[in-house]
Amino acid sequence: MTSISVKARPVTPDDARARRRRLIARTVVGVLLGLYGLVSVYPFLWMVSAAFKDQVEVVRGGHLIPQNPTFDTLVDTWNKLHFFDFFMNSLLVTVYTVVLTVVVYSAAGYAFAVLRFPGRGALQKLFVSLLFVPGVTVMLPIVMLENKLGILGTHFGLVLPFVNGGAPLSILLMTGAFLAVPSELRDSARVDGASELRIFTGVYLPLARPALITVALLTAIPTWNEYLLTRVSLNDPSTFTLPLGLQTLSSESVPHYNNLMAGALIVVIPVIVLFLSLQRYFVNGLVGAVKG
Amino acid sequence: MTTAVRTTVPDTAGGGAGDTSPRRRARRYEALSGYLFVAPAVVLFLVMGVYTVGYGFALSFATWNGFTPDWTWVGLDNYADLLWRDPIYAPRVRHAALNTLWVMVAVPTLTVAVSFPLAVLLNQAKRMQSVLRSVYFVPYVTTGIAVFFAWQYILQPDGAINTLLDGLGLGSLAQPQGWLGNPHTALPTIIVVTVWSSVPVSMLLYLTGLQGIDRSVLEAAQLDGAGWWRTNASVVWPLLRPITAIVVLLNLRESLQGFQTFLVMTNGGPGDHTNVLGLEAYRLAFLKNLSPTLGLSSALGWILFAVALILALINLRALRSKT
Repeated sequence: MTSISVKARPVTPDDARARRRRLIARTVVGVLLGLYGLVSVYPFLWMVSAAFKDQVEVVRGGHLIPQNPTFDTLVDTWNKLHFFDFFMNSLLVTVYTVVLTVVVYSAAGYAFAVLRFPGRGALQKLFVSLLFVPGVTVMLPIVMLENKLGILGTHFGLVLPFVNGGAPLSILLMTGAFLAVPSELRDSARVDGASELRIFTGVYLPLARPALITVALLTAIPTWNEYLLTRVSLNDPSTFTLPLGLQTLSSESVPHYNNLMAGALIVVIPVIVLFLSLQRYFVNGLVGAVKG
Repeated sequence: MTTAVRTTVPDTAGGGAGDTSPRRRARRYEALSGYLFVAPAVVLFLVMGVYTVGYGFALSFATWNGFTPDWTWVGLDNYADLLWRDPIYAPRVRHAALNTLWVMVAVPTLTVAVSFPLAVLLNQAKRMQSVLRSVYFVPYVTTGIAVFFAWQYILQPDGAINTLLDGLGLGSLAQPQGWLGNPHTALPTIIVVTVWSSVPVSMLLYLTGLQGIDRSVLEAAQLDGAGWWRTNASVVWPLLRPITAIVVLLNLRESLQGFQTFLVMTNGGPGDHTNVLGLEAYRLAFLKNLSPTLGLSSALGWILFAVALILALINLRALRSKT
């Protein structure tokens, strides 16, 4: 567009000034962006720092870099405070939730995107309307219901509400992904006599892999971090997930911040690793979800 | 479920009495598969969604302590008690509402004020963009009890924030009781932490919006002599108004209903200075043991729902009238 006006001309002092100004602007932008990056990770820096300090040093506060860095705090927290059990419980709850979410809502998304049946539009609206009900309003009825069903305090009793809570977002994402599949593929599969289940698993699911990964991630991360419903549902320490295990550390009369931060680090590291390894899907999915 | 199974029989048997045309049979097969595909989601939704919502709504018109076999129906009394009538709860609710209002004003405003410029700057930094974006995203990914404990740790009396202020020669700003221990700084501090965790998603939304703006619009503005400030303030900002509306709405809802940060970091203290409506509803439901406050909690939850709905409608209206 601007190429019309481009002409070769000698470098003038004006150009040099402009270049210098651009350099300054770029430096200012870089510094500001860097500063906010520091703000973003600031609590983590101290989390890591405290997790490598011993009891004496953490009380003194002091430096970000531990003076006598030690692995003992992490090992201690992991061993003595049953963090392995909490970790396994968290993993179990998260895996169940993710698998159920992916299976149940990819099927529903397929129905909403591809199949015509009476009442489809109304059902779809019903699911999205769930987005507007505040969590605190349904927490108590969930606990009451699970108490009646005898699943309160079990991992299954956590998984069901987690899966249901993810319904609006997962259905939205899966429906969108399946709508993008060209209908010719489906028609030719039909002509070949493939069943609906066959078309779904053989044609649509493989093509929707990015959306599946997105749904899995957007389910896994909040489930891993979930605290409120877990706190009011679970009573038996042997069923505790990591966030609850962490909470027991802070409710001691004098919280040992080095153990508490080591525990926090154990909670946080898996999600950060998961996020970093799959962030491409994560970011796209998040944008798609909010836009849709 | 049983009806669904029964109706499959004619299909697999190759057509019942009513199916004369293969077209109609295909349509019926498709509708049937549709119901089967959504069935698991619908069943779960009916039990975990519809039932619990209905139960909670009914409970808001009753008095119950969670243990007696029967509810005592009181009609709208719970709502009246919360809003003005009860001498204990009404003032508590009013106090919590005021705190919630502060959060609802401050969090969306500050989030927009931080995330819009951040996205504009990040959009210009082509080379570092993906690395920085990941770094900025860490607060969102880790939001939860672990990171709130980390904040608690650095906000303590001899924590990192006070040390940092001393180091910068701003020791007079340090809080000897800790930032969460001083009644005057506790609420603003939690607001800052909330903004910190809500910036990532908002920044990402703005960034997507920025990347969707037609370059020629910006070039036209520059040809008209608009500088960097002018372009962003008079061209980019108005173009991204729909995104601002979404960001504000998301944060308003979260400010109105969310309370996890408050529960973990201060539990409403010191002296109820950080009590918010969501936390009050949670306490009425789960921390009152044998007192019959479950209906009150439900009613408060539904008041929060109603306010959220009204806000969403206003937001939608405002958005529509401007575009």
